[in-house]
This record gives sequence, structure tokens and C-alpha cells, in this order.
Amino acid sequence: MTPAPPVLELDAVSRRYRSRRGPRRQAEVVAVDGVSLTVQPAEIVAVVGESGAGKTTLARLILGLERPDTGAVRFDGRDLTSLRRSELRAVRQRMHLVFQDPYQSLHPGMRVGEIVAEPLAVRGDARAVRGAAVTRALEEVALQPAASMGRRFPHQLSGGQRQRVALARAMVARPELVIADEPTSMLDASVCAGILDLVLAMRDRHRTAFVYITHDLAVARWVSDRMVVMRNGQVVETGASDDVVHRPTADYTRLLLAASEGELDQVPS
Amino acid sequence: MTRHVLRTVAQYGAVLVAAIALNFALPRLAPGDAIDYLLPPEQAGALTPEQRAEILDRFGLNDPLPEQFKDYVAGIARGDLLVSIRFGRPVTSLLGERVGWTLLLVGGALVLSTVIGALLGFRSAWRRGTSADTGTMAGMMFLDALPPFFVGMLLLLAFSVGLGWFPSYGALAPSDARGLESIGEVLKRAVLPIATLAIAGLGPMYLVARSALVSELAEDYVLMAEAKGLTDKEVRRHAARNALLPVSTVALVGLGTLVGGAAVVETVFSYPGLGRLIYESVLARDYPVIQGAFLLLIVTVVVANLLNDLVYPYLDPRVRRAHHE
Amino acid sequence: MTLADTDPARAADATPLGGGPPAQTPVPDRARRRGRRTGGVGRTLGVVGAVLVGACLAAALFAPVLSPYGPDETAGLPFLRPSSAHPLGTNDVGQDLFAQLLHGARLSLVIALGAALVAVVVGSAVALVAGYYRGPVETVLMRIVDLMLGFPFLVLVIVLAAFFGRGLGTTIFVIATVLWARPARILRSQVLKLREHAHVVAAKAMGASGLRVIGRHIVPRIAPLAAAQFVRAANVAVMLEASLAFLGLGDPDRVSWGTILYFANARSAFLTDAWQWWVLPPGLALTTVILGLAFVGSAVEEWADPRLRRSAARPARRRRGAVRVAGADDAPALSLAGLVVEYQLGRSVVRAVDGVDLEVERGRILGLVGESGSGKTTIALTAAGVLRPPGRVVAGDLSLGGRPVGRPSRPALAPYRGRDVALVPQAAMNALNPAYPVLRQVVEAARLTRDEAAAEVRSRQLLERVGLDPSRHQAFPHELSGGMRQRAVIAMALVNDPDLLVADEPASGLDVVTRAQVLKLLTELRDELRLGILLVSHDLPTVSRIADDLAVMYAGRIVERGPAAVVSASPRHPYTRALFGAFPSLKGERRPLAAVPGEVPDLSRTPEGCRFRTRCAEAVDGCATTDPALAGDGGHAVACIVQRPEERP
Repeated sequence: MTPAPPVLELDAVSRRYRSRRGPRRQAEVVAVDGVSLTVQPAEIVAVVGESGAGKTTLARLILGLERPDTGAVRFDGRDLTSLRRSELRAVRQRMHLVFQDPYQSLHPGMRVGEIVAEPLAVRGDARAVRGAAVTRALEEVALQPAASMGRRFPHQLSGGQRQRVALARAMVARPELVIADEPTSMLDASVCAGILDLVLAMRDRHRTAFVYITHDLAVARWVSDRMVVMRNGQVVETGASDDVVHRPTADYTRLLLAASEGELDQVPS
Repeated sequence: MTRHVLRTVAQYGAVLVAAIALNFALPRLAPGDAIDYLLPPEQAGALTPEQRAEILDRFGLNDPLPEQFKDYVAGIARGDLLVSIRFGRPVTSLLGERVGWTLLLVGGALVLSTVIGALLGFRSAWRRGTSADTGTMAGMMFLDALPPFFVGMLLLLAFSVGLGWFPSYGALAPSDARGLESIGEVLKRAVLPIATLAIAGLGPMYLVARSALVSELAEDYVLMAEAKGLTDKEVRRHAARNALLPVSTVALVGLGTLVGGAAVVETVFSYPGLGRLIYESVLARDYPVIQGAFLLLIVTVVVANLLNDLVYPYLDPRVRRAHHE
Repeated sequence: MTLADTDPARAADATPLGGGPPAQTPVPDRARRRGRRTGGVGRTLGVVGAVLVGACLAAALFAPVLSPYGPDETAGLPFLRPSSAHPLGTNDVGQDLFAQLLHGARLSLVIALGAALVAVVVGSAVALVAGYYRGPVETVLMRIVDLMLGFPFLVLVIVLAAFFGRGLGTTIFVIATVLWARPARILRSQVLKLREHAHVVAAKAMGASGLRVIGRHIVPRIAPLAAAQFVRAANVAVMLEASLAFLGLGDPDRVSWGTILYFANARSAFLTDAWQWWVLPPGLALTTVILGLAFVGSAVEEWADPRLRRSAARPARRRRGAVRVAGADDAPALSLAGLVVEYQLGRSVVRAVDGVDLEVERGRILGLVGESGSGKTTIALTAAGVLRPPGRVVAGDLSLGGRPVGRPSRPALAPYRGRDVALVPQAAMNALNPAYPVLRQVVEAARLTRDEAAAEVRSRQLLERVGLDPSRHQAFPHELSGGMRQRAVIAMALVNDPDLLVADEPASGLDVVTRAQVLKLLTELRDELRLGILLVSHDLPTVSRIADDLAVMYAGRIVERGPAAVVSASPRHPYTRALFGAFPSLKGERRPLAAVPGEVPDLSRTPEGCRFRTRCAEAVDGCATTDPALAGDGGHAVACIVQRPEERP
């Protein structure tokens, strides 16, 4: 059986910025440098690295919010830069984004029901159809009873509940790909577990692929099938999560692992 | 650093050009003939059509516009800003006479309002939430709500007409007092106008200083300074150092607003400054003077903004680059 | 290089240092997140302002009813004094001044409100275009805005009025031209910020059109600020119109407050008593409207941006400084008993810490672990002596290195701040003053116990010890990386050789590797200096690895305590177990994570029974009525009745 085409393919993608800070600093900052990675349908790929490693820029490139200087970003086989504006928007409706900050990612003036329905509204679904889809989505993320939850405003919910709403919004249009950018880093640990479980459930139930961006190696390993380790905009190592964690090949990966485990002797002063 | 300077200068240069163009265009947009622009109404009304055409021709006003603009710009470069209709003298010399008085008023008011406003504002910020703070704040808001000309009139009534401490008009004594005595006379006549302008500028400065210090006091480094065991005075100094940035910006940029207030204040006190000149010229439709003064003001504002842009990096190390790497 | 030498300057000299009034208060996270309102000085002002403006509007509206005369009518003899027929007398041509005052209100207000509306609409449009689409259009627009803001409004208005004539419409246009720049500038900053807000990016990312993003996501968010700008613009417009009219440049056919003053000035109303009823009323009327609009403006601004809300809390009153006493070398670095701390938030009182005992031995790290709302940061700030209102220490007994301090209020701890107890705050950008070089700030701390020269030597010594190269000592904070800044802060904290170091999430916000380095540094310093460290954090696995002792907090109480190795190996409290289980293991088996359902209880009401009961999988009936105390054997204590079968009722 021939393998299905990858949902997402990054082919030697690079993006440089001119540093805007200050008069003299006209130096270029290389945000993403020659990164290649593929995501298969229903696969969860974790992108790990420290801040400044280029993870957020990568997310923006995948969503087509920025264009790469070199290389190509292909969604379902089609290069994003070759698409017309309307086609790009149509593609964007097939992939969604979950953010890090649960306090900013929801419009404070919209009710939960409207927020979750927005992708459907953008896609042009009829209002009658939207209601049922929203209810289903809210139930899937365990925000029940869906009817009363749907009428609430974001500021009436806790951080964990807001992230669930964000997930519901991401899933309601059954996208093929979800980019999750540090979705649990601002949540308490006891709440974070629930979110991680939801991510897995969504992959299992709806065959959604995930690109899960995080700086926490343990979370990355736990939630993903494959891992990509980034440093200073470059891919340092990639492979099945367990392999990367138990048998790292790059020195930097070893350093990250040692630091994460608290093996302080292996960390230089 | 130089690149930044050059870029800023270029941007302001562009604005200056736009202003000059605007200055050129405005009178030509105004209703009425160019003749009304050049001659007093009595004379203009008495001209025959042939005489009008001849005058227009002589002044090059029938030439194509680009030609007129070239002459205009050349004139500015030469410092030749036409002649005042009212006084029959070159505009430049008129402006030169009056600028000094306005500078005296505005300069004095700027210093007073900045220093007093900042001190009061900082004190209020430190005593945030106490009745002293609320009282000062309410008082400042009240002062700020008094129209400058009203304040001027009240001061005039109280100190000049009522108590007779200060003369009520003019900048110089009519007599020929010399040396120190004449300086004394100048100061006596400047006190009330400066006070009026200072009061007008006090409110905004107080508010900016207060809110700047309040937001600095909420920063982590202030918590850290307290935790380090520093005295109150030392902690305040840490915060005030950073609060000076917005204060200095407002002061430099607020120079412009003070000049505006000067127009009104000079009217109340019959003070022979630039603002009063503009006002009188407007009433008399002395367009060349209006244009010349307008241009001068634009240059002043541009210079003030430029200064602020250049001074800021010295106050805020975060904006500074190259020197410490 | 080690620092085992005793600090010779540590004599037990008494240095009274009074506590000072703080200015802003860190509201506990939970309250801030819930958007709870903390008092409204702005609201009162707003109401007062609305009344003032309303009164003037009413006067304008009902002018014909309130006065029988028209403003231009010759109502009586000139210069009449106030009487019942003419409440403000008459002017020099016999017109009734009261009628003029009332009718003048109409013109002044119409022009002001009209101009303000036009200005804000234009300003908003400019802000949206410039802020959303950016590019060269934005640069050009913003330079124009900058210049317009610096230019004297009044002069511009005068000049424009000269060229475009006088009349109602022209005046409104001229004033609006001058006023649009400030709303444009302020709203554009807001648009820029909003553009990067996650929900806006999300909308773009899900394929929404630009129009939809602006219309549904950005415009509603800037509307409150635009309303505030409208009020501010109206405020300035009233002043401008009055000034214009005062100069005789207003509408020649109609009466406004400014024109009344113009005539008063022109007819030298000063020279007689007439100024009392000719000059004062319109001037005061103008002041009233302007002041009223200013008040309403602040209220609307506060509503638009809740961060501006001024807390009603008063700073702590100054008390006579406490005296620093000598310590004992073998006493614990910190000994705390029965600490209760409350926060006054609006009308409710939240008990963030409710009866906590803890001890930090010298040369040992106590890890105080908990999630948001547990009270751990409050304890850290209290121990360091920097707790600010609305936080208040209600009860507690604190000892610092053997020095009895008593109730740990700010003034009581003032003599010890920076000398015997030091704070390393969260790895925030701004723990160091951005305006001064790092060395200067460390020396400043060292001056507490030394003279200038010795302070510099010691500071450099410590900076090098924490890993900062001498060439970087004079750097400004923004020139150092996050990790280096945090090390500098640690050096600053240790420069006076304190007994206790309070570290509040010292490694949060740092990269994994840097975090490990900073924590490693802390353990080394603990050994070299026999330092007692109170390490507050939410990161249980990391802390349990480097701490010697562990204390787990939940909802203001310690629920489990003991040697770190013991507690990690066999956690007994259901919450501790759940917390350990919530962190995925890096290399171990992929087991299901423990999610804790429910929410932290509302601490403005003392809960009945065990606080964790509603979320606990092992709760029994007794949990609802018994408030478990911390008790245990062999140094491992737990506050749970289920875990200690002998106490089950």
C-alpha cells in the first residue's frame, strides 16, 4: 500500500530577519535556517528547543503568515507561496492554531459559543449547522453542560478551561493539522495533564496531525511520535521520540536531556 | 548612531519641505484675490482692473505655479519673507523683534512648569492614595481646567488692578530706564504673563510625572531595591531616574503648546510678543506676516522634536547602542 | 574560588531603618486573572464629572426656558447690576448676561462635541490603517501625527481660521483638523498591540479576511479607548473654541462663552466692578465643563484599560524603625510559626496564607512547592520583608538566624532586609534598574555593610564567583542575557552575607540549560556559604531533585513536609501524589498523567473541612468536617486524615 502524502512538508526552509532594534544593529538575525521536516496524517511531531531557537517563526511559516526566504512550505502537496490569496485562506481553514497564552487567545468580548463557532463562520457554514458542531466540540473537551458553557465569557473561565475552549475552536472544523505553540506552559501542572490527554484524544478520534511546539522535553516525549530538536534556527536532531530521548546522537540533545533531568554535573557552569 | 541621526534629520527635512509647500499653497487657496493678500483692503478696493493685472504681473503672480514656487523657495533661502502689509517692513525684522519676548515668556514658563510640575507629580506618586495625593491631583485638574486667558485675567485683576504690584501691560517701561533698572522693569512686567503660562502648563506636566513615577514604582527593580535594604530616598531615586524620560519628552514636545498659549496670554497682557503679532495680523489680514510666523513656528517645533529624538538615547541606555559593547 | 571567609563588617551595630510606604501592589495572581475590580476612585470622579457636564448641557438645552431674553436682545440699560430681572446684570450694550451665558453654552458645546466627534472618527480611521497595514504608509502618517502633536494647537487654529474664515462649520472643521492627531497616535499604539494579540493572530491564521479581523476583533477592542479619546478631545475643543472666540476669531454672529469674555476684555470690564458678573461666570462655566469632561475622561480611560485603575489601598503608615539585633550561629536561618497573611481586595478579604509553620536550616535548601494561588509567593515576599498592600500580615512569629523579629511586618524586617535576608525574585527582565550598570547596583547593596572601596572589591569578587566575567561588570542589564542577569541578581543578594536567601522562582522564564546552571549555582553557594535557601517554585520534579527538604502548599496551607528524598519517594498526601503524577517522566514509561479535576477553593471564605476535599479522589465523609493538621513521624508530616488511619473518626 502506498503511503499517504504527508500533510505538511518543510523543505530546507530559511527565514532571516533584519534586527529592528537600535540604529547600528543592522545585523541579520537568522530565525530559521535550512529546516526540513515532514508531518504524516494523524502524526504528532514535537518541536523542541530553547527560546530563540526559531520555534515560533516556524509556526508562522507553516501557517503562511510569513514567507520563507528560501525553501518551500507544502501543505497537502501544494506550495503555500504558489497559492492565490483566496486559496491560501482556504488552506488556512484546514489548519488551526492553539496558543500559549490562555488569557489572550480568546476575544474577551465574544461568548465561548461564538468563539468556537468562528472557524465555521469563516468557512461559510450555515448558522443552523454551526450550533450542533459547537456543542459536539465543547463536549469533546469536557466543557459541560455545553449550552451554559457556550454562553459564558472568557473572563469567567479558568486558564485551563480557556485552553480547552481554544482546543475546541481548533478542532471544530475538523482540520487536518493543528499547530500547538506551548499550549500548556502557562498552566499549572495539575491542569496541564488534562490538555495533553485531549491532544492525544483528538488525534485518535479525528486523525488530526499535530505540530506540538514546546521547550519541555518530558512533555514533548510524552505526547509525540516523533521529535525535532532545534537550536539557533537549525534542526540538530530528529527521530522517533523514544529514540531521541534514549539514544541521542547530537551533543546538544544530550545537554538538553541532562539539564531536564537535573543532572547538574553534566551541565557546565 | 550616525545613521539614526541622518535618518531622523531626513524625515524631519521631508516634513519641513511639506510645510513650506503648505505655506505656499494656503494663501493661494484662500478665498479672494492675491491682491487682497498684498495690499491693505482700502488700497485694493481702489484699483482698476488694469492696475490689478499690472501688479500681479510685477509680483510674478501670473507666472505658472512651479515658477512661483521656485521663487518662493529661493526667497525663503535668502531670508526674504516678503513685506508686512500693516507695517510696511520686512517680515523677518518684525519677527526678529518679537521672538525674543515670546522666548522669555515661554522659556520661563517651561522651566517653572516642568520643575514644579515634576516635583509635585513625583511627590504625589510616592504618596499615592493618601488624601495629600488626591487633594493635589484634584487641585491640579482644577488648575488645568481654567482657560489660560481666564487665569490671565484673574491674575491681572488680583495683582495688577487690585493690589497694584505689577504693571498691567507692555514689556518695557515707557521711561528710558537703563541697565539693572531696565532689567527690573522687564522682569516686573514679565512676572504675570510667565505665571499665567506656567500655570497653564503645570497640570499636564504634573499628570505625566505622576503617572510615570507610579508605573516605575510598580516595576520589579523597585521591589528589588527595597529588598536590598535601601532607604526610601534611595529607592525613590532609582525610580525617578527612569521616570524622567517621559517627563523630558513631554517638556520638549510641550514647548509647542506653550507657544500657543503665549498667543492668548500676550493678548491679555498686551505683551509685544510673537503670539500677539500673529493674532493682530490675523485680524488685519496681514498674510505675509502670518505666513512668516507660521513658518518660524514649524521650524521651532521640528527642532524641538529633533532635539528630543537625539537626547532620548542619552537618557535611556536601552536605546543607546554601540558605546558599551 | 570560595567565599568561606567571614565578613568582617558584620558587627551587630544597631541601624534603625524605618519602613517606607510602598506604591503599587502585586495583587495575587488569581484575583488579577479573574479581572476583579479593585476600587474605583476613577468611578467617583466620573460621576462628579458627568454631573458637571450634564448641568451645563441642561443649561444649554433649556436656555430659552430659563431666561426670557435672547442673547442679542437689548434687554435693559447698559451696565446694570445683578437683580432678579437680570441675574447677572447687563453688559455694555444692555444685553442680558445671564441669557448670554445660557445661549453661549449651546454654541460652545455644539462646536466642541462636533469637532471632537470628527477628530476621533478621523483619528480612528488613520490609526486602523496605519496600525494594521503598516509599511511606508504608516511611517508617513505617523510622522505627520508626531508633528501635529508638537505644533501649537492654538496657533494652527488661528492661522487656519484666518484662511478659511469664521462660521460654525468652519470652526468645527478647523478645530477637528488640529485634534485628530492625538487619538490617531494613541489608538494606533493600541492597534499595534492588539494586532499581536493571540486571538487576532488566531483569526488571521484560521483564514479570516482582513475586514473581518479588523471589524470583529480589533474595532470592538479599541472602541472603549476611542470613547475616552472623544471625551479628551471634547475637553480640548472647548478650550480651543473659547480661546478662538476670546481672540475675536469666533463666529461673529453668535454668542459663545469665549465671545462674552472677548467683549469683557475689549470693554475693559476690569476697571469697574462689572468683572464680577461679566468675567467670572463665563470663565467659571468654561472651567466647569472642562473639568467635568476631564473627570469623565479619566473614568472612561480607566474603564477602557483596567490596568490604570488606581488601587484604593493606602501605603503603610511609617512607624519608628526597629533595631537590628545580633544572631546566633547555630540557629536556623529562618523559623516561622503561625503565619497568616490576608489581602484586602475591594470588599472581600482573601486569606492567602492560613497558618503556616516552616523552618529553613543553614546550609540546606527548603523547596516550597505549590501551584498558582497556593500562597507560596506571599510567604516569600513576607519573609524578605517586602510584602506590599493590599497584603497584610495578620499573625506570625518569625526568627531570622536566631534573631527574634516577632510579627514579620515590613517595618519589623526593615533592619534585616538585604543584610540577613535577601531576595532573588522571579527571573524577570527588570529586577535590575535598566538605567544603571550592573556593578553600580551591586555596590549599592554592598554599601549597607562597607565603605565604597571595600564594597566595590566585594561586589566584583561576587560577580566573578557567579560567573560574570570582569569585562561585563560595567554592562547595562539589557546587554546581558537572562541567565547572566539572574546570576548578577544572586550576587547582589549575597553581597552582605545573609543567613537566609529567599528565591522566588529564580529560574522561571529561563531556558532549560540556563535554568540548570542557575540552580546548580545555588546549590554550590549553599555549600560554600552555609546559606539557608527558601526556594519557592511550581516545578515540583526539579525542586525535589535539588532541595534538601520539601514542603508542599495548597490553598494557603502546607499539606506535606519532609526531607525531599523521602517525600519524593513516597508522597502521602493525595495532592502531592497527584502533583508528582502530573509531570510526565522524561525517560520512563508513558503512563497516563494524573489530572486533578475542579478548581482551587475561593480563599475569601474559609472552607469547611479539608481544602482539597472537593478535588480529592480519596476523600471520605470525615473530610468535610475535619480540618486536618500537619502531623507525622520522623520528620515526614502530612495534613490528611485518610493517610493517618489512627485519626480517622
